[in-house]
Amino acid sequence: MAKKRISRRKFLVRGGLGALGVLAVGTYAFRNPLRRSILEMANSIDLPYSGSGMEPMVWFEVTQENNILLHSPKVEMGQGTFTSLAQMAADELEVSLAQIQVVHATTATGSIDALSTGGSTSVSGLWQPLRELAATMREMIKGEAAKKMAIDSTNLQIENGIITAGDISMTYAEAVANVSEWEIPDTPTLKDIKEYKFVGKPLPRIDLEAKVFGDPIFGMDVEMPDMLYGAVVRPDKIGAAMASVDSTKAETMPGVVKVIQEDDFVGVVARSLLEAENAKEALEIEWNVSKDWQTAAIVEMLKVGNGNPMILQKKGGGVEDGEDTISLEFSSPIGAHAQLEPNGVVASVEGDKAIIKISTQVVGITRKEVADRLDLDVENVNVIPTYLGGGFGRRLHTPHAVQAAVMSKAVGRPVKYFFTRKEEFQHDMFRPPTHHMLKGKLTQEGTIDTIQHDFSSGGVAIGSVLLPSAAHAILGADIGAIRGGFCQYGAIPNIRTVTWHVDLPFATSWWRSLGLLANTFAWESFMDELAMKAGRNPVEFRLAHIQDDQAGARLKSVIKAAAERSGYHDTPQNGRAMGFAASTDAGTPCAQVVEVSIEGDEIKVHKVTCAMDPGIAVNPDQVRAQCEGAIIMGMSASLFEKMEVVDGSLTPTIYGPYEMALMRHAPKEIDVVLLQGIDKPGPVGEPPLGPIGAAIANAVFRLTGKRLTAMPLKLS
Amino acid sequence: MNITFHINGSSQTVAIADENTPLLWVVRDLLNLKGTKFGCGKAACGACTLHVDGEAVRSCSYAIKFAEGKHVTTIEGLGTKESPHPVQQAWIAEIVPQCGYCQPGFMMATAALLEKIPNPTDEDIDRNIINVCRCATYYRMRKAIHRAAELNAANVEPESENS
Amino acid sequence: MKTKLALLFPLFLGAVIISATTNTPTTSNYMEVSPSEDMELTSEEAFDKMMDVLTHQRCVNCHPSDNIPKQGDDSHPHYFGIERGEENLGYQATNCATCHQAENNPYSGVPGAPEWSLAPHTMRWEGLSRIEIAESMMDPERNGGRTPEETLHHLTEHELVLWAWKPGVDANGQSQELPPVSKEDYIAAVKKWFEAGHVIPTE
Repeated sequence: MAKKRISRRKFLVRGGLGALGVLAVGTYAFRNPLRRSILEMANSIDLPYSGSGMEPMVWFEVTQENNILLHSPKVEMGQGTFTSLAQMAADELEVSLAQIQVVHATTATGSIDALSTGGSTSVSGLWQPLRELAATMREMIKGEAAKKMAIDSTNLQIENGIITAGDISMTYAEAVANVSEWEIPDTPTLKDIKEYKFVGKPLPRIDLEAKVFGDPIFGMDVEMPDMLYGAVVRPDKIGAAMASVDSTKAETMPGVVKVIQEDDFVGVVARSLLEAENAKEALEIEWNVSKDWQTAAIVEMLKVGNGNPMILQKKGGGVEDGEDTISLEFSSPIGAHAQLEPNGVVASVEGDKAIIKISTQVVGITRKEVADRLDLDVENVNVIPTYLGGGFGRRLHTPHAVQAAVMSKAVGRPVKYFFTRKEEFQHDMFRPPTHHMLKGKLTQEGTIDTIQHDFSSGGVAIGSVLLPSAAHAILGADIGAIRGGFCQYGAIPNIRTVTWHVDLPFATSWWRSLGLLANTFAWESFMDELAMKAGRNPVEFRLAHIQDDQAGARLKSVIKAAAERSGYHDTPQNGRAMGFAASTDAGTPCAQVVEVSIEGDEIKVHKVTCAMDPGIAVNPDQVRAQCEGAIIMGMSASLFEKMEVVDGSLTPTIYGPYEMALMRHAPKEIDVVLLQGIDKPGPVGEPPLGPIGAAIANAVFRLTGKRLTAMPLKLS
Repeated sequence: MNITFHINGSSQTVAIADENTPLLWVVRDLLNLKGTKFGCGKAACGACTLHVDGEAVRSCSYAIKFAEGKHVTTIEGLGTKESPHPVQQAWIAEIVPQCGYCQPGFMMATAALLEKIPNPTDEDIDRNIINVCRCATYYRMRKAIHRAAELNAANVEPESENS
Repeated sequence: MKTKLALLFPLFLGAVIISATTNTPTTSNYMEVSPSEDMELTSEEAFDKMMDVLTHQRCVNCHPSDNIPKQGDDSHPHYFGIERGEENLGYQATNCATCHQAENNPYSGVPGAPEWSLAPHTMRWEGLSRIEIAESMMDPERNGGRTPEETLHHLTEHELVLWAWKPGVDANGQSQELPPVSKEDYIAAVKKWFEAGHVIPTE
């Protein structure tokens, strides 16, 4: 990919920003449209930063205290982006890390990402533009300092935001004070990575203290003066349509300010949260339900062959059924996000202006949806993102922002509203269930001759606000569902991959790593089966089928590293067996080895070794943290989690019945090995979720001889 | 009704209409201490864990009337940035939080655990720490719990020698 | 902080007037019982009626045989790996009282009663027959050294036992199933059986 330099003409400089800033630097346009690549590329899609080209974007401000305010276009949901961005900026700006304060950009400050925070793209997408902006700003400040000090700028030294020449020194804040005409240089050459003091170092998260001392940084913690509380009615059953509403009783409930009936929702505004919830319960509503869905009907719908097919990979011939055909079917259930902070928002609509404070992964979309619904100019809607109490893709949908804004407008006061836990579970945008059919043939020599993966999934990208509906027509396949669906073993002579899309009667969408977890479970379990059938070591068997190119070399490296570091062996010892699996997601390869035992009916994971090549790890400690978390979250989804459809309702609706990995399930040992096969940062947050399910199932096979083919993996 | 209790060391009286109002909402919305989190409202996730008379309690399921005369401690009262609790020191040293939302509940549960079992085994941790963390920071939390126990021991020993 | 709170009070006074009408059980689900019959109960009939209650999940859930409390009408193992602990009160730091208070909580659906705990291991009933339960219940070696009078008192007056008739709601706000005999009929039957000499029927 050609490096895109920031044009001088597109630079924005603002002076005298009031109390906060004395200089703000940003860009007018830094648009890099979503690449509509061919589908083979979509699997490794690495969405670049996608800023809006329409409005000025403020990136940095120098404060009077000589600190730097970095307006992050990406939201912080735990993935550590703020810290990595601060490290990148500090190095090019020549300031200490402590001098950088990262805040969420608001739509009023401009530098929000018009697309989203997600897809493991924040650090990789901002790697080049953020450093270029920082370096440019440094040069601009240096230029002003040179003028003020009357010294040639080449003779100036900079350290910790202080410019010195011999005995004279000047802070950045002093250098930029009262400058009216700025000279914008060409984008300076960036420093060599070896010169960086912060990039590549395992530094503590910059939000660590706030999170350890309970600072009120989350959407749930937001208050506004004179605020009321809202609640919105949601049906228990799939596809339920509101037939009638009787609000007589609800309107007389204590504390109720107003019952709001719109075409698409009914809400209650009251003085307190509990009063709003109580009044909501008092609404008498009749629902029309055309069908009481059950899990079995969903499973049937999803079978490969029932949806719309699209060939993703076609190399050589397909598998023809015969005696020597090896085949297995796999499935994964409906998964919930179950993030701890419920979806919520505080909205204040006054006249033709709206303020929305919200945990969102789609700042720009939230803004547009509110503006559209209330018929406001988009410039008059300021969306102020907060820290997210977990994202995982759930906050890529924010219709609740619209509902809160409608309610606020109706009562003329700010309205805070968030989901109950039951609503979170019943009205999640679920990870779709999947079904997979794998077929293969081995040669006499024990190599794979032909392999075919047919997989069926509910929608991930299809139907999402993130992609225009035209995208499906253009791409033909669901770019979310196909993640991990491709064959990563390019040396196999005959490969066919077919994706089947099924429209489900309930909403499914983005869930951390999208199709990767289920697709890798199917692929890598099947690779294990083929290796066993061929009588070969699964590590060596995989390596033998990887093509010779850069992606292949990186995949081979992580496979070898995981095997070596874990001391992988193929025979159970002392009641424990190892399981191996590898995946490539958005270009980042990852291999994992698990050590598993069986205790009663329980599959116990003792140790996980994870080798990943994310390219440059801007903050290696946080890359490790992402691996550790993704491994346990993936274990949770692989071993425990499952939503059912019972008599028309999605269930369960609470933690506990929705079984998840807890402390006692977490491996006592997680060993992460980071490799660097490319000279830029690659995606990190999702790729390590890929291999874990298959690795566990493969270990269980070695212990029990039983091939578990359905998630969640259960022995009985 | 009026209910008087101690919160983070100071006495407070709250006037409240429904004596069954969960302590969680009194702490968050009346006392404006936002560190105690709402996660499920069903005593299932543990995000709202705080201490009542030194015991870990899930405040979403604790009626305010039961707080009369009790000593309530929230994350804001556990320690401060200037004088952090050993659990908070350990959490910082191990860089535990990711999104951070569930972490106050876990830290409060851990502080209560260490009061009962100063040097917990892995099994003690597995049994007593049953909150939910979706970022799945359990691996680092376990390390932080052991580290906090060590910090506690280091803090206690010199004192006992002096006394 | 005091001053700030004083300002907050008026706001909050208005803000927390909450109806107590929601989330309370609305219907009882007693089986049909004819009150007139109760007067004429034989000892065996009284025994059966008492045992209809004592073998119900509202009672047996907290008299487990495997150290794991059970929950709900399907008697599933208590979620989150909760076990008996050394004193029948759960683990040291995370115990019954972490979630269960002296009353049911109408907002969370978490049940509560005074002295909320598991019955000791000697009083395990799960999986036992009616006769075995009765034998256990009357055996001082297993019933905590209770005399028959003390057992009668426990069965008819202990708040934790009588909680079975006000079990509150589950996490979804749905009423929990009540024992198949009303509290009054149950107490009458227990008393009758004890008065008649607490004779345990043979097989």
